[in-house]
Amino acid sequence: MTPARLATAWALFQGLLIEALPFLLIGVLISAAARWWAPGGRWLRRLPSQPLLGPLSGAALGFALPACECGNVPVARQMLVGGAPLGSALGFLFAAPVLNPIVLASTWAAFPDQPWLLLARPLGAVVVAVGLALLLRLIPEAELLQPDLLAERRLHQPLEEVNLLERRGGVLGTQDRRPLTRPSLAELMRHGGREFLELALLLVLGCVLASLVQSFVPRSWLLAVGGAPTLSILALMLLALVVSVCSSVDAFLALSFAAQVTPGALLAFLLLGPVIDLKLVGLLNLLFRPRGLLLTTAGAGLLVLLIGQWINLWRL
Amino acid sequence: MPPPPLLQRAALQRGAALALWSLVLLRSSVDGRLDLLLRAIYHPLVALAGVLLFGLALLQLGLALRDATAARERAQRRQTLTLLVTTAIALALLGLPPAPSFADLAGQRPRDDTAASELSFVLPPAQRSLTDWVRLLRSQPDPLLFEGDPVRISGFVLPVTGEAPQLARLLVRCCLADAAPVGLPVRWPAGATPQADQWLQLDGVMAVETGSGGRRLVVRPRSIRPIPRPARPLEP
Repeated sequence: MTPARLATAWALFQGLLIEALPFLLIGVLISAAARWWAPGGRWLRRLPSQPLLGPLSGAALGFALPACECGNVPVARQMLVGGAPLGSALGFLFAAPVLNPIVLASTWAAFPDQPWLLLARPLGAVVVAVGLALLLRLIPEAELLQPDLLAERRLHQPLEEVNLLERRGGVLGTQDRRPLTRPSLAELMRHGGREFLELALLLVLGCVLASLVQSFVPRSWLLAVGGAPTLSILALMLLALVVSVCSSVDAFLALSFAAQVTPGALLAFLLLGPVIDLKLVGLLNLLFRPRGLLLTTAGAGLLVLLIGQWINLWRL
Repeated sequence: MPPPPLLQRAALQRGAALALWSLVLLRSSVDGRLDLLLRAIYHPLVALAGVLLFGLALLQLGLALRDATAARERAQRRQTLTLLVTTAIALALLGLPPAPSFADLAGQRPRDDTAASELSFVLPPAQRSLTDWVRLLRSQPDPLLFEGDPVRISGFVLPVTGEAPQLARLLVRCCLADAAPVGLPVRWPAGATPQADQWLQLDGVMAVETGSGGRRLVVRPRSIRPIPRPARPLEP
């Protein structure tokens, strides 16, 4: 470990962190605006809860709230706290980083001569989001979500969905009759400030991990497998985990090695990064218990691998 | 319940921590360190986030002093820990500016292999940057087309295993994490000892040399001048 390598790792850490912080702030501000605009999150509870419609409606929200994955975590957390159906919140969390105008425009700008990619990326993101939402629904919410998030969520869920033992406060009855008052500025500031600092800390941990791996594992190792159909997909999935760049720019990064890898691997890189990477692990830890995080990682990996394989069968 | 002493008020601590983080973003925007980390197109976003965060910090501090509910809020242990750690990291970011070794970073990354989207034929050869040359050669790989063209390029010295050092640049789409190097081989004059990471400006001509891999274009410098690192070294 040379001093030059350490200095480079420190710079990489700063680059990743400073690039992500504005997006994190945007996410926290959107989350605070949602709390103020719709106190109690009543509109969130009206989102569909069907296994397919739920994730699709959440994914569609990405068009309204264009942010990359770092900014999406606080918004998804606010959706879960507000009592949104699990499938909708998960659909938003996993698909919105791709299904938003900025990311689609950057994909088109990077690959104007590959129209299939412009179609395959959002479609693949929806498939992954629906698949993950269906998978995570198999775990009871109490085992999936972090306890403090779950406690807040229970307060906003209708009593017919939550039994009294699960709910630590609130009122009795089938209707939630608490007055819908807008939170005060002080309350918004307290919540937003705390959320930003907590997320910043988790982001820091993710960036430390990503910068260390990037500094000490040469990227050429991952790209060495080039044209091997399955290995190239796995290698590019690993690269997406390590490199941890935002979904709004990952297409431009992919452009630099697109000619060396298979089409399936290219798509796998563009699909996996927005769902899970080293930088995101800390942030997702704010939502999921370790079991949920593990299942998300494994499920996303498997789905993206299958999509990549299918694309390679079609395009090679 | 009487409000806790000033320093124990959670809202005040939180406001101070947010102010520190806004300082990280604002200082990065003005002291030039962003030029080493991010592409220029993202700089205004960082500055805007810094201003916004500073406003939020001021609001938080004002409320902590004036609002009765905020004044009574005591920090819980977990929040205190978060505040302490984030404050320490923000201080480290302020105190230790980035000083990356471009040669070290470039040595671990595969080369950028994108061709020029807008070919630089229109530019006179002496006005082409190093990146223009690399992309042009990728689009028009016949080295004989460019033999004898004048060259005036700058970049950092990148050691290459088994070859003479090249003159290189890092291309960045977003931040340093996605940097990919581009480099041109140089026929260094006898006695020249370019050091890794050293920034040089070369004036000379393009020459063709034949090696084991066939013919390739190299820069034959007439003058080699050490220069300070450019203000925006990540721009092409």
